[in-house]
Amino acid sequence: MLKSVLRNSGSSNISRISRTNILKNVGAHPFVYYSTTRKTSPLEQTKNISSNEFEFSTKGAPIVRGKNSTATEYTLPKWKEALGEYVIKTFGLDMDKIRAGPVAGSYYYSICKEQGLQYENEPLSESAKFFYEELKLPRTFSQWFQITALHEWMLFVRMRAMPFKYGRNYQQKLVDKTFNDIEMRLFDEMNIHSGRIVDQYSKDFNSQLKGAVFAYDVGFYTDDATLATAVWRNLFGGRKNIDYSHLDAVVKYIRSQLYVMSRMSDREFALGKFKFVPAKEKINKLTSAEEKEMKEKIIKKYEELDKSGLLLPSDRSNLSYDN
Amino acid sequence: MSSYQVVREGAKQVIKLLEKFPEERFKYLVSFKATQLERFSRIAGLPISQKSSSEIANNKASIDEIKDIVNRTSGPLGLQKEMLKKMQAAIPHDQFSEASMKDQINALSNLVGNKYKNYYEVGNKLYNPAGNPEYYQRIIDDIQGKKKENILAGLRTVFMGR
Repeated sequence: MLKSVLRNSGSSNISRISRTNILKNVGAHPFVYYSTTRKTSPLEQTKNISSNEFEFSTKGAPIVRGKNSTATEYTLPKWKEALGEYVIKTFGLDMDKIRAGPVAGSYYYSICKEQGLQYENEPLSESAKFFYEELKLPRTFSQWFQITALHEWMLFVRMRAMPFKYGRNYQQKLVDKTFNDIEMRLFDEMNIHSGRIVDQYSKDFNSQLKGAVFAYDVGFYTDDATLATAVWRNLFGGRKNIDYSHLDAVVKYIRSQLYVMSRMSDREFALGKFKFVPAKEKINKLTSAEEKEMKEKIIKKYEELDKSGLLLPSDRSNLSYDN
Repeated sequence: MSSYQVVREGAKQVIKLLEKFPEERFKYLVSFKATQLERFSRIAGLPISQKSSSEIANNKASIDEIKDIVNRTSGPLGLQKEMLKKMQAAIPHDQFSEASMKDQINALSNLVGNKYKNYYEVGNKLYNPAGNPEYYQRIIDDIQGKKKENILAGLRTVFMGR
Protein backbone atom coordinates (compact mmCIF):
# COMPACT_ATOMS: atom_id res chain seq x y z
CA MET A 1 0.00 0.00 0.00
CA LEU A 2 2.74 2.38 0.81
CA LYS A 3 4.51 1.55 -2.34
CA SER A 4 2.91 3.77 -4.83
CA VAL A 5 1.75 7.20 -4.03
CA LEU A 6 -0.42 9.05 -6.43
CA ARG A 7 -0.12 12.77 -6.47
CA ASN A 8 -3.29 14.62 -7.27
CA SER A 9 -5.53 11.68 -7.62
CA GLY A 10 -7.50 13.30 -10.38
CA SER A 11 -8.85 10.32 -12.16
CA SER A 12 -6.70 7.25 -11.97
CA ASN A 13 -6.76 4.79 -9.11
CA ILE A 14 -3.98 3.87 -6.80
CA SER A 15 -2.01 1.31 -8.62
CA ARG A 16 -0.82 -1.52 -6.50
CA ILE A 17 2.37 -3.15 -7.50
CA SER A 18 3.18 -4.94 -4.30
CA ARG A 19 4.09 -8.54 -4.94
CA THR A 20 1.02 -9.28 -6.96
CA ASN A 21 2.78 -12.21 -8.56
CA ILE A 22 2.91 -14.01 -5.22
CA LEU A 23 -0.60 -13.16 -4.16
CA LYS A 24 -2.01 -14.30 -7.47
CA ASN A 25 -1.48 -17.94 -6.59
CA VAL A 26 -3.34 -17.62 -3.31
CA GLY A 27 -6.46 -16.69 -5.16
CA ALA A 28 -6.90 -13.10 -6.17
CA HIS A 29 -9.93 -13.56 -8.35
CA PRO A 30 -12.60 -10.91 -8.50
CA PHE A 31 -15.63 -11.26 -6.29
CA VAL A 32 -19.10 -10.37 -7.31
CA TYR A 33 -21.02 -8.20 -4.88
CA TYR A 34 -23.92 -7.74 -7.23
CA SER A 35 -24.96 -8.68 -10.69
CA THR A 36 -25.95 -6.05 -13.16
CA THR A 37 -27.96 -5.77 -16.28
CA ARG A 38 -26.83 -3.08 -18.61
CA LYS A 39 -29.61 -0.86 -19.73
CA THR A 40 -29.47 1.91 -22.25
CA SER A 41 -30.49 4.44 -19.65
CA PRO A 42 -31.47 4.54 -15.98
CA LEU A 43 -34.31 6.80 -16.95
CA GLU A 44 -35.76 4.37 -19.42
CA GLN A 45 -39.28 5.20 -18.46
CA THR A 46 -38.79 8.84 -19.31
CA LYS A 47 -37.86 7.97 -22.87
CA ASN A 48 -41.36 8.66 -24.13
CA ILE A 49 -41.25 12.28 -23.06
CA SER A 50 -41.06 14.23 -26.25
CA SER A 51 -37.69 15.84 -26.32
CA ASN A 52 -38.63 19.50 -26.34
CA GLU A 53 -40.39 19.44 -22.99
CA PHE A 54 -37.45 19.22 -20.64
CA GLU A 55 -34.94 20.41 -23.13
CA PHE A 56 -32.02 22.57 -22.21
CA SER A 57 -28.53 23.10 -23.40
CA THR A 58 -25.61 21.65 -21.49
CA LYS A 59 -23.12 24.21 -22.68
CA GLY A 60 -20.69 24.20 -19.83
CA ALA A 61 -19.63 26.76 -17.31
CA PRO A 62 -16.09 27.86 -18.06
CA ILE A 63 -14.14 25.45 -15.92
CA VAL A 64 -10.88 24.46 -17.51
CA ARG A 65 -8.58 21.82 -16.14
CA GLY A 66 -5.84 23.46 -14.14
CA LYS A 67 -2.19 22.53 -14.27
CA ASN A 68 -2.37 20.87 -10.86
CA SER A 69 -5.19 18.59 -11.89
CA THR A 70 -3.32 16.44 -14.32
CA ALA A 71 -2.50 13.16 -12.66
CA THR A 72 1.11 12.21 -12.33
CA GLU A 73 2.16 8.89 -10.94
CA TYR A 74 5.00 8.51 -8.56
CA THR A 75 6.55 5.30 -7.35
CA LEU A 76 8.71 5.06 -4.26
CA PRO A 77 12.27 3.90 -4.85
CA LYS A 78 12.88 0.33 -3.69
CA TRP A 79 15.10 1.24 -0.76
CA LYS A 80 12.46 3.57 0.68
CA GLU A 81 9.91 0.82 0.33
CA ALA A 82 12.12 -1.61 2.20
CA LEU A 83 12.82 0.96 4.90
CA GLY A 84 9.09 1.61 5.27
CA GLU A 85 8.30 -2.07 5.67
CA TYR A 86 11.10 -2.38 8.22
CA VAL A 87 9.80 0.56 10.26
CA ILE A 88 6.24 -0.79 10.23
CA LYS A 89 7.42 -4.19 11.36
CA THR A 90 9.78 -3.03 14.10
CA PHE A 91 7.49 -0.51 15.69
CA GLY A 92 4.37 -2.59 15.14
CA LEU A 93 2.52 0.27 13.51
CA ASP A 94 -1.23 -0.02 13.12
CA MET A 95 -1.61 -0.25 9.35
CA ASP A 96 -5.41 0.02 9.48
CA LYS A 97 -4.98 3.49 10.85
CA ILE A 98 -2.23 4.51 8.46
CA ARG A 99 -4.08 3.13 5.47
CA ALA A 100 -6.86 5.69 5.95
CA GLY A 101 -4.68 8.24 4.16
CA PRO A 102 -4.03 6.43 0.89
CA VAL A 103 -7.37 4.63 0.77
CA ALA A 104 -9.95 7.13 2.05
CA GLY A 105 -8.01 10.33 1.45
CA SER A 106 -6.66 9.46 -1.93
CA TYR A 107 -8.54 6.61 -3.60
CA TYR A 108 -12.03 7.09 -2.17
CA TYR A 109 -11.84 10.81 -2.68
CA SER A 110 -10.77 10.32 -6.28
CA ILE A 111 -13.78 8.13 -7.09
CA CYS A 112 -16.11 10.66 -5.47
CA LYS A 113 -14.50 13.49 -7.34
CA GLU A 114 -14.57 11.98 -10.79
CA GLN A 115 -18.32 11.25 -10.69
CA GLY A 116 -19.29 14.80 -11.46
CA LEU A 117 -16.03 16.15 -12.81
CA GLN A 118 -16.43 18.17 -15.98
CA TYR A 119 -14.31 20.60 -17.93
CA GLU A 120 -15.51 22.85 -20.67
CA ASN A 121 -13.13 21.64 -23.34
CA GLU A 122 -13.29 17.94 -22.51
CA PRO A 123 -16.01 15.40 -23.30
CA LEU A 124 -18.13 14.31 -20.33
CA SER A 125 -17.33 11.02 -18.67
CA GLU A 126 -20.00 8.31 -18.45
CA SER A 127 -20.91 9.16 -14.87
CA ALA A 128 -20.92 12.88 -15.59
CA LYS A 129 -23.30 12.29 -18.49
CA PHE A 130 -25.77 10.79 -16.06
CA PHE A 131 -25.71 13.87 -13.85
CA TYR A 132 -25.44 16.66 -16.38
CA GLU A 133 -27.28 15.27 -19.38
CA GLU A 134 -29.87 12.89 -18.02
CA LEU A 135 -30.62 14.67 -14.76
CA LYS A 136 -30.11 18.04 -16.48
CA LEU A 137 -28.08 19.56 -13.67
CA PRO A 138 -26.22 22.78 -14.44
CA ARG A 139 -22.54 22.36 -15.21
CA THR A 140 -21.11 24.49 -12.44
CA PHE A 141 -18.52 24.15 -9.72
CA SER A 142 -21.02 24.12 -6.87
CA GLN A 143 -23.03 21.43 -8.63
CA TRP A 144 -19.87 19.36 -8.84
CA PHE A 145 -19.50 19.84 -5.10
CA GLN A 146 -23.03 18.62 -4.43
CA ILE A 147 -22.45 15.50 -6.53
CA THR A 148 -19.18 14.83 -4.70
CA ALA A 149 -20.86 15.39 -1.33
CA LEU A 150 -23.56 12.87 -2.19
CA HIS A 151 -20.99 10.22 -3.00
CA GLU A 152 -18.93 11.01 0.07
CA TRP A 153 -21.99 10.66 2.25
CA MET A 154 -22.59 7.19 0.81
CA LEU A 155 -19.06 6.25 1.82
CA PHE A 156 -19.61 7.78 5.28
CA VAL A 157 -22.58 5.47 5.78
CA ARG A 158 -20.36 2.46 5.18
CA MET A 159 -17.47 3.88 7.22
CA ARG A 160 -19.72 4.22 10.26
CA ALA A 161 -20.16 0.45 10.19
CA MET A 162 -16.41 -0.06 10.61
CA PRO A 163 -14.95 -0.18 14.15
CA PHE A 164 -15.32 3.33 15.50
CA LYS A 165 -11.64 4.17 15.77
CA TYR A 166 -10.93 3.30 12.14
CA GLY A 167 -14.20 4.43 10.56
CA ARG A 168 -13.87 7.84 12.13
CA ASN A 169 -10.34 8.18 10.84
CA TYR A 170 -11.42 7.21 7.32
CA GLN A 171 -14.15 9.85 7.39
CA GLN A 172 -11.71 12.46 8.64
CA LYS A 173 -9.19 11.75 5.91
CA LEU A 174 -11.86 11.91 3.23
CA VAL A 175 -13.10 15.29 4.43
CA ASP A 176 -9.58 16.69 4.81
CA LYS A 177 -8.68 15.75 1.28
CA THR A 178 -11.94 17.18 -0.05
CA PHE A 179 -11.31 20.63 1.32
CA ASN A 180 -7.65 20.63 0.37
CA ASP A 181 -8.66 19.82 -3.15
CA ILE A 182 -11.48 22.36 -3.27
CA GLU A 183 -9.09 25.04 -2.16
CA MET A 184 -6.60 24.01 -4.82
CA ARG A 185 -9.28 23.95 -7.51
CA LEU A 186 -10.64 27.36 -6.55
CA PHE A 187 -7.20 28.92 -6.93
CA ASP A 188 -6.11 26.90 -9.90
CA GLU A 189 -9.23 26.39 -11.97
CA MET A 190 -11.73 29.01 -10.92
CA ASN A 191 -8.97 31.65 -11.06
CA ILE A 192 -9.68 33.20 -7.69
CA HIS A 193 -6.65 35.11 -6.49
CA SER A 194 -7.92 36.23 -3.11
CA GLY A 195 -7.34 33.90 -0.19
CA ARG A 196 -10.13 35.56 1.74
CA ILE A 197 -12.71 34.70 -0.92
CA VAL A 198 -11.46 31.12 -1.13
CA ASP A 199 -11.83 30.88 2.66
CA GLN A 200 -15.38 32.14 2.40
CA TYR A 201 -16.23 29.59 -0.26
CA SER A 202 -14.63 26.82 1.77
CA LYS A 203 -16.72 27.72 4.81
CA ASP A 204 -19.80 27.78 2.65
CA PHE A 205 -19.03 24.37 1.20
CA ASN A 206 -18.36 23.09 4.71
CA SER A 207 -21.81 24.06 5.92
CA GLN A 208 -23.33 22.65 2.74
CA LEU A 209 -21.61 19.35 3.41
CA LYS A 210 -22.85 19.25 7.00
CA GLY A 211 -26.39 20.04 5.93
CA ALA A 212 -26.34 17.48 3.15
CA VAL A 213 -24.99 14.74 5.38
CA PHE A 214 -27.63 15.45 8.02
CA ALA A 215 -30.48 15.47 5.50
CA TYR A 216 -29.32 12.32 3.72
CA ASP A 217 -28.85 10.54 7.05
CA VAL A 218 -32.43 11.25 8.04
CA GLY A 219 -33.68 10.19 4.62
CA PHE A 220 -31.61 7.04 4.59
CA TYR A 221 -32.93 5.92 7.98
CA THR A 222 -36.58 6.86 7.50
CA ASP A 223 -37.99 6.34 4.01
CA ASP A 224 -37.58 6.92 0.31
CA ALA A 225 -39.85 9.96 0.28
CA THR A 226 -37.71 11.76 2.85
CA LEU A 227 -34.55 10.77 1.02
CA ALA A 228 -36.06 12.16 -2.18
CA THR A 229 -36.78 15.51 -0.55
CA ALA A 230 -33.21 15.60 0.76
CA VAL A 231 -31.93 14.92 -2.76
CA TRP A 232 -34.24 17.61 -4.11
CA ARG A 233 -32.99 20.21 -1.64
CA ASN A 234 -29.31 19.43 -2.07
CA LEU A 235 -28.51 17.87 -5.42
CA PHE A 236 -31.25 19.65 -7.35
CA GLY A 237 -30.90 22.90 -5.41
CA GLY A 238 -34.60 22.95 -4.52
CA ARG A 239 -35.73 23.92 -7.99
CA LYS A 240 -39.44 24.06 -8.43
CA ASN A 241 -39.85 22.45 -11.83
CA ILE A 242 -38.38 19.14 -10.88
CA ASP A 243 -39.06 16.04 -12.94
CA TYR A 244 -39.97 13.37 -10.38
CA SER A 245 -38.51 10.59 -12.48
CA HIS A 246 -35.11 12.23 -11.90
CA LEU A 247 -35.64 12.09 -8.13
CA ASP A 248 -36.73 8.49 -8.49
CA ALA A 249 -33.59 7.63 -10.47
CA VAL A 250 -31.28 9.24 -7.89
CA VAL A 251 -32.96 7.54 -4.92
CA LYS A 252 -32.63 4.23 -6.70
CA TYR A 253 -28.98 5.00 -7.46
CA ILE A 254 -28.25 5.79 -3.81
CA ARG A 255 -30.03 2.77 -2.37
CA SER A 256 -28.38 0.40 -4.83
CA GLN A 257 -24.87 1.71 -4.12
CA LEU A 258 -25.48 1.33 -0.39
CA TYR A 259 -26.70 -2.19 -1.02
CA VAL A 260 -23.43 -3.08 -2.73
CA MET A 261 -21.45 -1.53 0.13
CA SER A 262 -23.48 -3.36 2.75
CA ARG A 263 -22.46 -6.70 1.22
CA MET A 264 -18.76 -5.92 1.55
CA SER A 265 -16.73 -6.92 4.57
CA ASP A 266 -14.88 -4.32 6.62
CA ARG A 267 -11.53 -5.65 5.46
CA GLU A 268 -12.31 -5.30 1.78
CA PHE A 269 -13.90 -1.89 2.12
CA ALA A 270 -10.96 -0.64 4.16
CA LEU A 271 -8.51 -1.93 1.57
CA GLY A 272 -10.25 0.19 -1.06
CA LYS A 273 -11.98 -2.55 -3.04
CA PHE A 274 -15.17 -0.57 -3.51
CA LYS A 275 -16.03 1.48 -6.55
CA PHE A 276 -19.30 3.08 -7.50
CA VAL A 277 -21.40 1.08 -9.91
CA PRO A 278 -22.18 3.16 -13.00
CA ALA A 279 -25.70 4.56 -12.98
CA LYS A 280 -26.38 2.90 -16.31
CA GLU A 281 -26.18 -0.55 -14.80
CA LYS A 282 -29.17 -1.86 -12.94
CA ILE A 283 -28.06 -3.64 -9.79
CA ASN A 284 -29.80 -6.93 -9.18
CA LYS A 285 -29.94 -8.35 -5.70
CA LEU A 286 -27.92 -11.41 -4.87
CA THR A 287 -29.87 -14.50 -3.99
CA SER A 288 -29.14 -15.87 -0.52
CA ALA A 289 -27.24 -18.79 -2.05
CA GLU A 290 -25.03 -16.46 -4.08
CA GLU A 291 -24.45 -14.31 -1.05
CA LYS A 292 -23.43 -17.28 1.05
CA GLU A 293 -21.06 -18.50 -1.63
CA MET A 294 -19.48 -15.07 -2.00
CA LYS A 295 -18.94 -14.75 1.75
CA GLU A 296 -17.40 -18.18 2.00
CA LYS A 297 -14.98 -17.38 -0.81
CA ILE A 298 -13.94 -14.13 0.82
CA ILE A 299 -13.43 -15.73 4.23
CA LYS A 300 -11.37 -18.48 2.63
CA LYS A 301 -9.27 -16.01 0.68
CA TYR A 302 -8.37 -13.85 3.67
CA GLU A 303 -7.86 -16.77 6.02
CA GLU A 304 -5.34 -18.20 3.59
CA LEU A 305 -3.67 -14.85 3.09
CA ASP A 306 -3.34 -14.24 6.80
CA LYS A 307 -1.95 -17.71 7.43
CA SER A 308 0.40 -17.78 4.45
CA GLY A 309 2.79 -15.23 5.94
CA LEU A 310 3.38 -13.82 2.49
CA LEU A 311 1.77 -10.51 3.32
CA LEU A 312 4.07 -7.57 3.68
CA PRO A 313 3.86 -5.74 7.01
CA SER A 314 2.18 -2.85 5.17
CA ASP A 315 -0.52 -5.13 3.76
CA ARG A 316 -1.61 -6.57 7.11
CA SER A 317 -4.92 -5.70 8.63
CA ASN A 318 -6.86 -6.63 11.74
CA LEU A 319 -10.28 -5.70 10.41
CA SER A 320 -12.80 -8.48 10.12
CA TYR A 321 -13.49 -10.09 6.79
CA ASP A 322 -16.52 -12.12 7.76
CA ASN A 323 -19.19 -9.48 8.23
CA MET B 1 -61.19 12.69 -22.91
CA SER B 2 -58.88 15.29 -24.39
CA SER B 3 -55.23 15.22 -23.48
CA TYR B 4 -55.70 18.44 -21.48
CA GLN B 5 -58.20 16.71 -19.23
CA VAL B 6 -55.94 13.67 -18.86
CA VAL B 7 -53.12 15.90 -17.68
CA ARG B 8 -55.43 17.60 -15.21
CA GLU B 9 -56.59 14.28 -13.84
CA GLY B 10 -52.95 13.21 -13.63
CA ALA B 11 -52.10 16.31 -11.67
CA LYS B 12 -54.84 15.47 -9.19
CA GLN B 13 -53.33 12.03 -8.73
CA VAL B 14 -49.92 13.61 -8.19
CA ILE B 15 -51.44 15.82 -5.49
CA LYS B 16 -52.89 12.79 -3.74
CA LEU B 17 -49.46 11.15 -3.76
CA LEU B 18 -47.73 14.32 -2.58
CA GLU B 19 -50.08 14.52 0.36
CA LYS B 20 -48.80 11.11 1.45
CA PHE B 21 -45.31 12.56 1.80
CA PRO B 22 -44.32 12.72 5.47
CA GLU B 23 -44.39 16.11 7.15
CA GLU B 24 -40.93 17.56 7.45
CA ARG B 25 -39.97 17.48 11.08
CA PHE B 26 -37.08 19.79 10.59
CA LYS B 27 -37.77 23.28 9.35
CA TYR B 28 -35.96 23.90 6.09
CA LEU B 29 -35.90 27.05 4.01
CA VAL B 30 -38.07 25.47 1.35
CA SER B 31 -40.52 22.67 1.78
CA PHE B 32 -40.76 20.11 -0.97
CA LYS B 33 -44.32 19.22 -0.16
CA ALA B 34 -45.61 22.78 -0.03
CA THR B 35 -43.93 24.00 -3.21
CA GLN B 36 -44.84 20.93 -5.20
CA LEU B 37 -48.45 20.90 -3.98
CA GLU B 38 -48.77 24.46 -5.14
CA ARG B 39 -47.19 23.67 -8.49
CA PHE B 40 -49.55 20.82 -9.24
CA SER B 41 -52.59 22.56 -7.84
CA ARG B 42 -52.06 25.12 -10.56
CA ILE B 43 -51.93 22.43 -13.23
CA ALA B 44 -54.94 20.62 -11.82
CA GLY B 45 -56.83 23.89 -11.64
CA LEU B 46 -57.48 23.50 -7.93
CA PRO B 47 -57.48 26.41 -5.51
CA ILE B 48 -54.09 26.86 -3.90
CA SER B 49 -54.27 26.03 -0.23
CA GLN B 50 -54.46 28.84 2.27
CA LYS B 51 -51.18 28.03 3.92
CA SER B 52 -48.99 28.10 0.85
CA SER B 53 -50.54 31.29 -0.53
CA SER B 54 -50.02 33.10 2.75
CA GLU B 55 -46.42 31.95 2.75
CA ILE B 56 -45.93 33.53 -0.64
CA ALA B 57 -47.47 36.79 0.56
CA ASN B 58 -44.99 36.90 3.42
CA ASN B 59 -42.01 36.66 1.15
CA LYS B 60 -40.50 40.03 0.52
CA ALA B 61 -39.62 39.50 -3.13
CA SER B 62 -40.88 36.75 -5.37
CA ILE B 63 -38.55 34.99 -7.79
CA ASP B 64 -40.18 36.79 -10.71
CA GLU B 65 -39.50 40.13 -9.10
CA ILE B 66 -35.88 39.25 -8.50
CA LYS B 67 -35.54 38.05 -12.09
CA ASP B 68 -37.04 41.34 -13.23
CA ILE B 69 -34.58 43.37 -11.17
CA VAL B 70 -31.69 41.25 -12.37
CA ASN B 71 -32.71 41.67 -15.99
CA ARG B 72 -33.17 45.42 -15.80
CA THR B 73 -29.76 46.25 -14.42
CA SER B 74 -26.94 46.26 -16.93
CA GLY B 75 -24.34 44.30 -14.98
CA PRO B 76 -26.60 42.26 -12.75
CA LEU B 77 -25.08 41.09 -9.50
CA GLY B 78 -21.79 40.15 -11.06
CA LEU B 79 -23.44 37.72 -13.44
CA GLN B 80 -22.88 38.05 -17.12
CA LYS B 81 -25.87 38.17 -19.44
CA GLU B 82 -24.69 35.06 -21.21
CA MET B 83 -24.58 33.15 -17.91
CA LEU B 84 -28.09 34.30 -17.07
CA LYS B 85 -29.35 33.02 -20.40
CA LYS B 86 -27.68 29.71 -19.74
CA MET B 87 -29.28 29.50 -16.30
CA GLN B 88 -32.70 30.31 -17.68
CA ALA B 89 -32.31 27.76 -20.44
CA ALA B 90 -31.37 25.19 -17.84
CA ILE B 91 -34.70 25.41 -16.05
CA PRO B 92 -37.06 22.83 -17.56
CA HIS B 93 -40.43 24.17 -18.63
CA ASP B 94 -43.50 23.04 -16.83
CA GLN B 95 -45.52 21.48 -19.61
CA PHE B 96 -46.77 17.97 -19.29
CA SER B 97 -47.98 15.58 -21.90
CA GLU B 98 -50.03 12.52 -21.03
CA ALA B 99 -46.93 10.34 -21.09
CA SER B 100 -44.78 12.62 -18.97
CA MET B 101 -47.56 13.03 -16.41
CA LYS B 102 -47.76 9.26 -16.18
CA ASP B 103 -44.02 9.14 -15.48
CA GLN B 104 -44.41 11.64 -12.68
CA ILE B 105 -47.11 9.51 -11.09
CA ASN B 106 -45.05 6.34 -11.46
CA ALA B 107 -41.97 7.93 -9.92
CA LEU B 108 -43.91 9.41 -7.01
CA SER B 109 -45.68 6.18 -6.21
CA ASN B 110 -42.33 4.39 -6.17
CA LEU B 111 -41.06 6.91 -3.65
CA VAL B 112 -44.17 6.93 -1.47
CA GLY B 113 -44.29 3.13 -1.54
CA ASN B 114 -40.71 2.87 -0.25
CA LYS B 115 -39.87 0.67 -3.22
CA TYR B 116 -36.10 1.03 -3.16
CA LYS B 117 -35.65 0.94 0.59
CA ASN B 118 -37.47 -2.37 0.67
CA TYR B 119 -35.81 -3.85 -2.38
CA TYR B 120 -32.22 -2.86 -1.63
CA GLU B 121 -32.34 -3.99 2.00
CA VAL B 122 -29.07 -3.10 3.72
CA GLY B 123 -29.98 -4.60 7.06
CA ASN B 124 -28.75 -3.83 10.54
CA LYS B 125 -25.19 -3.63 9.34
CA LEU B 126 -25.78 -0.12 8.06
CA TYR B 127 -28.84 0.92 10.08
CA ASN B 128 -27.15 0.11 13.39
CA PRO B 129 -23.54 0.61 12.32
CA ALA B 130 -20.97 -1.19 14.43
CA GLY B 131 -18.89 1.90 15.09
CA ASN B 132 -21.80 3.95 16.35
CA PRO B 133 -24.96 1.86 16.76
CA GLU B 134 -27.17 4.64 18.10
CA TYR B 135 -26.17 7.20 15.46
CA TYR B 136 -29.35 7.36 13.38
CA GLN B 137 -31.75 6.76 16.23
CA ARG B 138 -30.32 9.72 18.12
CA ILE B 139 -30.81 12.03 15.16
CA ILE B 140 -34.38 10.86 14.59
CA ASP B 141 -35.28 11.08 18.28
CA ASP B 142 -33.93 14.58 18.43
CA ILE B 143 -35.74 16.00 15.41
CA GLN B 144 -38.97 14.29 16.37
CA GLY B 145 -38.65 15.76 19.84
CA LYS B 146 -39.06 12.36 21.46
CA LYS B 147 -35.96 12.47 23.56
CA LYS B 148 -34.04 15.64 24.15
CA GLU B 149 -30.51 15.02 25.21
CA ASN B 150 -28.90 16.87 28.05
CA ILE B 151 -25.71 18.84 27.82
CA LEU B 152 -23.56 16.00 29.14
CA ALA B 153 -24.57 13.70 26.31
CA GLY B 154 -23.86 16.52 23.89
CA LEU B 155 -20.44 17.18 25.35
CA ARG B 156 -19.62 13.51 25.23
CA THR B 157 -20.38 13.49 21.51
CA VAL B 158 -18.23 16.53 20.95
CA PHE B 159 -15.21 15.06 22.73
CA MET B 160 -15.58 11.35 22.05
CA GLY B 161 -17.10 11.62 18.60
CA ARG B 162 -20.13 9.46 19.36
